[in-house]
Amino acid sequence: MIALKDLSKQYGRFLAVNKLNLTVEKGEIFGFIGPNGAGKTTTIRIMGGILAPTGGTVIIDGIDMGREPEKAKKRIGFIPDRPYLYEKLTGWEFMSFSAALYGVDKDIFIEKATSLLKMFSLWDWAQELIESYSHGMKQRLIFATAFLHDPPVFIVDEPMVGLDPTGIRMVKDLLRNQARAGKTVFMSTHSLGVAEDICDRIGIIHHGALLATGTTKDLQRTAGIEEADLEAVFLRLTEEQQTP
Amino acid sequence: MISLLTLLKPRYWAFQKGLSGKDSRASQLFIMGTIGLAFWAGTFAIFYRILRYFQAVEGFGDILTYKLLSMVLVTFFALLIFSGIITSLAKLYLSRDLILAHSLPLPPAKIFLARFVESTIDSSWMVIVYSLPVFLSYGIVFKAGVFYYATVIMVLLSLCMISSALSSLCVMILAVLLPAGRLRNVFIFLAFILFLVLILAFRLMRPEQLVDPEAFASLLLYFRSLTVPASPLLPTTWVYDSLRAALTGNYKMGLFHLSLAWSFTTMLIFIISEIAGACYFMGFSKAQTAPEKLFPLHLRRQTNTLPSLLAFLPKPAAALTRKEVKIFFRDQTQWPQLFLLLALIVIYVYNFSVLPLAKSPIKTIYLQNVLSFLNMGLAAFVLTAVAARFVFPAVSQEGEAFWIVRSSPLSLRTFLWIKFFVYTPPLLVMAEILIVATNILLHVTPFMMCLSVATIFLIVPGIVALGMGIGATYPDFKSENPAQAVTSFGGLLFMLCSAGFIGLVIILEAGPVYTFFMAGVRGERMTFYQWAWLFGSFFLVFAISSAAVFLPMRWGINNLHEK
Repeated sequence: MIALKDLSKQYGRFLAVNKLNLTVEKGEIFGFIGPNGAGKTTTIRIMGGILAPTGGTVIIDGIDMGREPEKAKKRIGFIPDRPYLYEKLTGWEFMSFSAALYGVDKDIFIEKATSLLKMFSLWDWAQELIESYSHGMKQRLIFATAFLHDPPVFIVDEPMVGLDPTGIRMVKDLLRNQARAGKTVFMSTHSLGVAEDICDRIGIIHHGALLATGTTKDLQRTAGIEEADLEAVFLRLTEEQQTP
Repeated sequence: MISLLTLLKPRYWAFQKGLSGKDSRASQLFIMGTIGLAFWAGTFAIFYRILRYFQAVEGFGDILTYKLLSMVLVTFFALLIFSGIITSLAKLYLSRDLILAHSLPLPPAKIFLARFVESTIDSSWMVIVYSLPVFLSYGIVFKAGVFYYATVIMVLLSLCMISSALSSLCVMILAVLLPAGRLRNVFIFLAFILFLVLILAFRLMRPEQLVDPEAFASLLLYFRSLTVPASPLLPTTWVYDSLRAALTGNYKMGLFHLSLAWSFTTMLIFIISEIAGACYFMGFSKAQTAPEKLFPLHLRRQTNTLPSLLAFLPKPAAALTRKEVKIFFRDQTQWPQLFLLLALIVIYVYNFSVLPLAKSPIKTIYLQNVLSFLNMGLAAFVLTAVAARFVFPAVSQEGEAFWIVRSSPLSLRTFLWIKFFVYTPPLLVMAEILIVATNILLHVTPFMMCLSVATIFLIVPGIVALGMGIGATYPDFKSENPAQAVTSFGGLLFMLCSAGFIGLVIILEAGPVYTFFMAGVRGERMTFYQWAWLFGSFFLVFAISSAAVFLPMRWGINNLHEK
């Protein structure tokens, strides 16, 4: 469903992503973890079609993002880490705008937007300008909008940032349900607990390169520390990279 | 004092870093500096010539020179106040970093003073820079000494601080008086007041009468109107009096009026810092409340009617158009500019209605049509100013929310072309109304009317595309106020390209149109060569106008992909 082939991104002399190779299957939740500045957000932005890579390809649902970006983007529900929105639109207007961009039918839109806004506890705020929303409300609105066009792939950057405990629980359940329904979820997170909790497989990125991928058990084996939690595995693997 | 300097340090460091930028920015700074210097030199040359001319008029040359000085000072003061209100509103209540500033263990009055210093510099540096050639020309024409130049620096500093302090005071009072969530509505009131003041000031000044002494009942009345002293309570009067005294070498009077200006300045700063201590935080706290809609009912109606108006467009195009229109009208910071432009257009059209064409020694029909031709260029320049304010920042206006477009299935090509088609119709309608109205006032020939309408029809899309394309090449998605992008390198480049494009079209049309017009006046027939020249020129105008649409748009789309 998602395939990254030799994906690289260079900012001037700085190599942010270094020949990343990765596949994520249908119905899988893949967690992408790594220290600050490891290249997570850059990878996610390239996958979402927001950044152009300097090398390699991104395939989404069989479509090459570089060759047919519009087609590939239609198959993605993209959720960024920071909820920047059009502050002068109401929540409802923003959803309607997004629905039109993704070609959602008007009748389906009204029904779906209503149920999503209710699900994310935003229904009472639907006619208010986004500038009056809190950080968490904006994040929830982005989630609700990403589900509007029913994409087969979700790319999520730090999904839990700014959400309250109820919101975190809801997003976790939602992502699990989507995976059960055959959707693919690729998410980056700093929260190792969340990754351990809901991800089928986890990839650890450091200095732009993938250190290890697999289930928590696989990662424990790679790190050579059985019976340890993900945090210990993560620290071991990233520390090994720091020491020359 | 130390905490005040500490609060100003981040700004100073950012400025320092800006100066020691990379090489690529150095070349941009060089180009901008050269253009700025050219404008500066141009202002100096114009004022120097005018003053020399006035000085040559025997009897009342000095009266005219001083009258001009007082008019210049009043204009500068009005500009400083207007700019001060907008800047201090943003600096004191709306900036993103205010949350951090207010979390610091400092009294609100200190935060206010630091913001006041920043606001004074931001709102007045440009007025100061471009007023210097005016004062320099006065100094040279009057052969003034060092005392005059020292006085200029001191009075300008005082004028800037007074206007900034009055603006801050006004904004602080409004922030406390207005209900929570209504602070941004200040922009609407400000816009309306500005519109009225401009129109009223223009009507009261009646500048057309200054070039037509016959309109006065007698020469005495004319003189009296020029020598009426201004109110002694106005800061501009103290500034004017000290400058006038310094120009004539009257040190005592110069120092006296300078002291008046500075005693008022220090007293005003003391008063506003005391008021800030009492109510700045109260107003800031109210400004944190979620902004309320100004016209909630109207918005709902608009939501319902807009879709039906845009039904003929493809879905993404209609959605983007709707978004653009809604955001434009809901962003109240746009309104003062909108009203300002409206006032300028009213004044522009009015100017044509009072032109004393009949009193000119040149044949009226010839003059009317020459003016009509010049009017095409002027209208296009007015349009460039409008486009610089609204079209050029259109891409930057997306701000940090640009990820929404980038991650959507809408291509950047479609995105930019939709923006082009959103901005072209209103600007085209505005430009055509402007040109038709002024041509009717000028009573031009039908040929000239058709030519003007057709030329504007070709020029407007070119100007919009230039603004959109260059705006997409130099976007600033992180700016707190994207409208300020017009003062950036990209904004300057747009204005230069637009001026070049308009100039080229006017030059191409001028020769053949003159030949055609004169043939009509003299009752002669045009030769084959002259017809070929006419059609060749028009074809070139068409080709250049098309290139002005497609090339910048392609450039903008390609560069936007790189961002």
